[in-house]
Amino acid sequence: MRSVRMPRSVRMPRALLVVFLLLGAAPEAPAQTKTQTQIGGWNLQGEIESGIQGLPQNPNGTHTPGLADGKFEEYRDIRGLGNDNNSGLFLENLQLRLFRPDEAYSIEMSGKDWGFHTQEFHLLGERLGQWQVGFDWDQMRHIYSTDSQTLLKAFGDNVFIVRGSPGGRPPIPAWNSAPSWSCSAASISIGSSDCDGQISQQWFTGRLFFKLSPTPNLDITSELTRIFKDGQRPFGMAFGSPGGNFLELVQPISQTIYEWKTRGTWARDMFQLTWGYTLSVFVNDFPWVRADNPCNGDGVTTIAGGCAAPGASGQFGTTSLPPNNQAHTVNIAGGVNLPMQTRVNSSLTYQWRLQNQDFLKQTYSNSLVANNVSLQNPQNSLNGNVQTLLFNLDATSRPLAAPVTFALKYRLYDYMDFSDQIRFQAFVINDQNTITSNPLTAGRYSYLRQNADLSGRYQIAPPAALTLGVGWEGWNRSHQWEVTQTNEALAKASFDYTPTDWLLARTSSSMGFRRGNFYNHVAFWEANDNQPPGFAGSGSQLSELRKFNEADRNQYILSLLLQITPIDSVSISPTGSYKNTQYIASGLTNNGTWFNTAMLGLQTVISWTAGVDVNWTPTDRLTFSAGYMYESIFQKQRSRNNGPNDPSMDWISDNTDQFNTYTASMKATLIPDKLVFKLGAAYSQALGRVQQYSPNATGSTVYNANQPNDVTWRWPAFYNQLARLDAALDYTFAKNWTAKFFYAYESFVNADWQTGALTPALTPNGSGSIFLGQNWQNYTAQILGVTLKYKFE
Amino acid sequence: MTLRAWRWSVGLSLAVLAIATLAVPSPAQETKPTATPAPAAAPPADSNYVGAETCKGCHEEQWNKFAKTRMGRLFLYQARDAAEKNACENCHGPGKAHVEAGGGKGKGGLITFAKNDPTPVLKRNQVCLDCHTKGERIFWKGSSHESRNVACTNCHTLMDNVSPRHQLTRVNEIETCGTCHLQKRAQTMRSSHMPVREGKMTCSSCHSPHGSVTPALLKEPSLNDSCFTCHAEKRGPFLWSHQPVVESCANCHDPHGTNHDAMLKLAKPRLCQQCHTESGHVSRPYGPIGTQQKFVMGRSCNDCHVAVHGSNHPAGFRLTR
Repeated sequence: MRSVRMPRSVRMPRALLVVFLLLGAAPEAPAQTKTQTQIGGWNLQGEIESGIQGLPQNPNGTHTPGLADGKFEEYRDIRGLGNDNNSGLFLENLQLRLFRPDEAYSIEMSGKDWGFHTQEFHLLGERLGQWQVGFDWDQMRHIYSTDSQTLLKAFGDNVFIVRGSPGGRPPIPAWNSAPSWSCSAASISIGSSDCDGQISQQWFTGRLFFKLSPTPNLDITSELTRIFKDGQRPFGMAFGSPGGNFLELVQPISQTIYEWKTRGTWARDMFQLTWGYTLSVFVNDFPWVRADNPCNGDGVTTIAGGCAAPGASGQFGTTSLPPNNQAHTVNIAGGVNLPMQTRVNSSLTYQWRLQNQDFLKQTYSNSLVANNVSLQNPQNSLNGNVQTLLFNLDATSRPLAAPVTFALKYRLYDYMDFSDQIRFQAFVINDQNTITSNPLTAGRYSYLRQNADLSGRYQIAPPAALTLGVGWEGWNRSHQWEVTQTNEALAKASFDYTPTDWLLARTSSSMGFRRGNFYNHVAFWEANDNQPPGFAGSGSQLSELRKFNEADRNQYILSLLLQITPIDSVSISPTGSYKNTQYIASGLTNNGTWFNTAMLGLQTVISWTAGVDVNWTPTDRLTFSAGYMYESIFQKQRSRNNGPNDPSMDWISDNTDQFNTYTASMKATLIPDKLVFKLGAAYSQALGRVQQYSPNATGSTVYNANQPNDVTWRWPAFYNQLARLDAALDYTFAKNWTAKFFYAYESFVNADWQTGALTPALTPNGSGSIFLGQNWQNYTAQILGVTLKYKFE
Repeated sequence: MTLRAWRWSVGLSLAVLAIATLAVPSPAQETKPTATPAPAAAPPADSNYVGAETCKGCHEEQWNKFAKTRMGRLFLYQARDAAEKNACENCHGPGKAHVEAGGGKGKGGLITFAKNDPTPVLKRNQVCLDCHTKGERIFWKGSSHESRNVACTNCHTLMDNVSPRHQLTRVNEIETCGTCHLQKRAQTMRSSHMPVREGKMTCSSCHSPHGSVTPALLKEPSLNDSCFTCHAEKRGPFLWSHQPVVESCANCHDPHGTNHDAMLKLAKPRLCQQCHTESGHVSRPYGPIGTQQKFVMGRSCNDCHVAVHGSNHPAGFRLTR
């Protein structure tokens, strides 16, 4: 894992400081009639803004040098590459354009955040209207954790060991005293890794592009993009099932995506044509990760504090990571204008997704492999080959004298998996001593999806238009799926009303009814395990289950948007939506109700939103805006504990997420062309609740191990809130110079019971399972800074 | 890699320094006036057109702003054909009637593209489409926005540079799209989100607002292909596939943001239990009590079932390796 810490001696801010001082020392241009800054016959325009910022209040109260500030800097970098206490100088914004006076040629350079983990810069050269060549560079990071704990040591980047005293593992409770995530050596030698105390990824994206327009009607483009991802992300590793333990560790990430796209487009008055090819290649430098099992004692018979007996799982585990793959995509599309205001578009896209990386061994436990010939892989790799076909045909026409526009759409998406169907004779379950000899085929999932829509839009009167339409969505799936055929009929209506230039109303609604042919709950086993129809063996689905992506359903959607501008300086935009989805258990005994409440799986999803935006500009020097949005999502699902044939063990979970989002801003030009004040605020609050209860409710709140479903409890709520306040004062103190003084306040509160009180070892109930113990911490931060901007004219 | 980036940064800043030092005009340096437009701005042959210079006579402020936009530079300085040479009148229509009427609002039958412009949206949009029907705008006609009578000028402004790119009416894409899609704009504030509000992604990273062949105006052939552009490690194909992943990433994720880890629609294990109702530990009603903790705490199901998007391990049929 690569650290992005930079030596102090090489720091962008010093170079910027030199620029900054020289700019400040440069003589101001004499006041005269409008002139253009020039360099060697080329005009220059743009601006450069640089400054300093600091954190008078550290998030979380303290700051650990070298570490990012958790959630505060999840996707940001406030402190700079050194993660030091103060970011020092930074580049807020750079935009420069050099151009010939006749605008024939120009070079543009822009960038921001130079010297930070999120820096970006862009370079573009062009002959206006004829060709462009450019390069973009962007860096982004994603912080996952800065408070994880582990006793693991890294040997290289993808091997983690936890050798305690010779011949043993540390006692499980010792993990609760583990230091922060680090790869530094303690008692054993370590490879070249350098972990900096946080679990994070850094993305480096470079893009080179070229565009040629030999005529105004023809464009040819080519671009090459490379995304390099470096770092780690949280990961888990299981050491055998059933009854085994797991270990939370990190997945090493050193991955590269190469993408080359070439496109052409040719447009004439009556028709347009476009074509293209895309090659995408994914390369993963780490095909696997290995880690010691905290519960296996290298000969020590028991591990104190919660492990099962040492024979329950192996000494170490090896988990595969995403394999290298590639995709080739070709497409052609076109549109033609026909008489009677008719337009027809069509497109055809074909894609190949290929993957053929060598398989790992089933296990690296030599004794297990040597004694079990059936664990040999039947072939070395998958010969992965998925092909997709996308065909579209759209037509719109206005053939009648009446103001009616008809639209017809058809879309076909065929996903065809031609990868080898490999049958394995046996599987490793536990790398110590357990295999299963039940042969299983790695089946391939293919499907065909089709959509068709027909609608008519009638302009009732100039301010009002009504659209009515019908639609159809059909799925044909291969026999590995539970439902091989579904059809959904849709009815749609929308109404747009603009009676005056200050009122716009848009409303739309749709109803959909999806039905499948037959739900085969043992389809997977029949297809992959050679089991007879109706197999109900161990691990099979319960017959009352309906997976929501294949289940029958009724769906209703309604939305409304108003835009009201009673006077030119005021606009109000109320909006709302409602969506209701009911999943239906086809094939089950209908107990007299349309919705079979005995169905297992997701039963109901109801979501709705309501919000408003208000903008007010009382004078041309003052602008106010404010907004509010409320959202609610409710999901009801039913399950059965320890099935299959005992409905008394059913339980229901009502899950609700609610959100409130407030925004407000103000911009005041205190002195025209001189002094501008901006204020912005945002507050977002989210509340998630899960309540579980039995439909046979006795109302008990006491957990009964013999009837674990028969207790009603509400999970502790998931809660978080984010508040942000920004204030800035721009002062233009000279012709091309503007100073900005800014202040930001940000506060984050998080309550998540699944991570909040988590310790690495949950003995005695963790059975030797070890967590990283990461949790987003609350924070309050203040940022204060000043920038200086010079504008080239 | 980082050292190289540093060197690039230092080198570029020194280049900026050099430019700045050379660029600032000194009193002794001869200054040159702004370049005058090329002959393209002269009155065209058609007698109904009056030429951009005539427009500038009354609308100098707008003309100066337009001249700094991309289209303005092209029309006024580097017009490639007769239509572009018409400059202002290429979009607003021939100006002779407007000039002869003495100017003023509503005079001469020009298309103003203002909110109160009586010109039908279809006709206003056709002005833009006469040139801009290349690439993804092939699918504009019949698209979601076009079928609801959205005008090009609802999202774009050509007379001034409000946004750094794409001539938008607001300073960035999320503000522009959020004018109508208020809920999606609010969704960017959720705790589990893609870096849209941090400025690292925009709406058009995934969507094509001008029309596309994929539902929800996605740019790529399918929703999954949109995700694979950046998350190619999920593309596979894998030896052991996870059925809902093959079909759609949106079966489990909401890419606009949620309040659950990894933008999942619901906390684990409840999300997984919507489809997995089997014998064994899968279907138990886990909660925050002692004996069940290891199945619900931390990463929950993914602590063991780590290869949830698909596994290429021979023993990975339960997506645990």
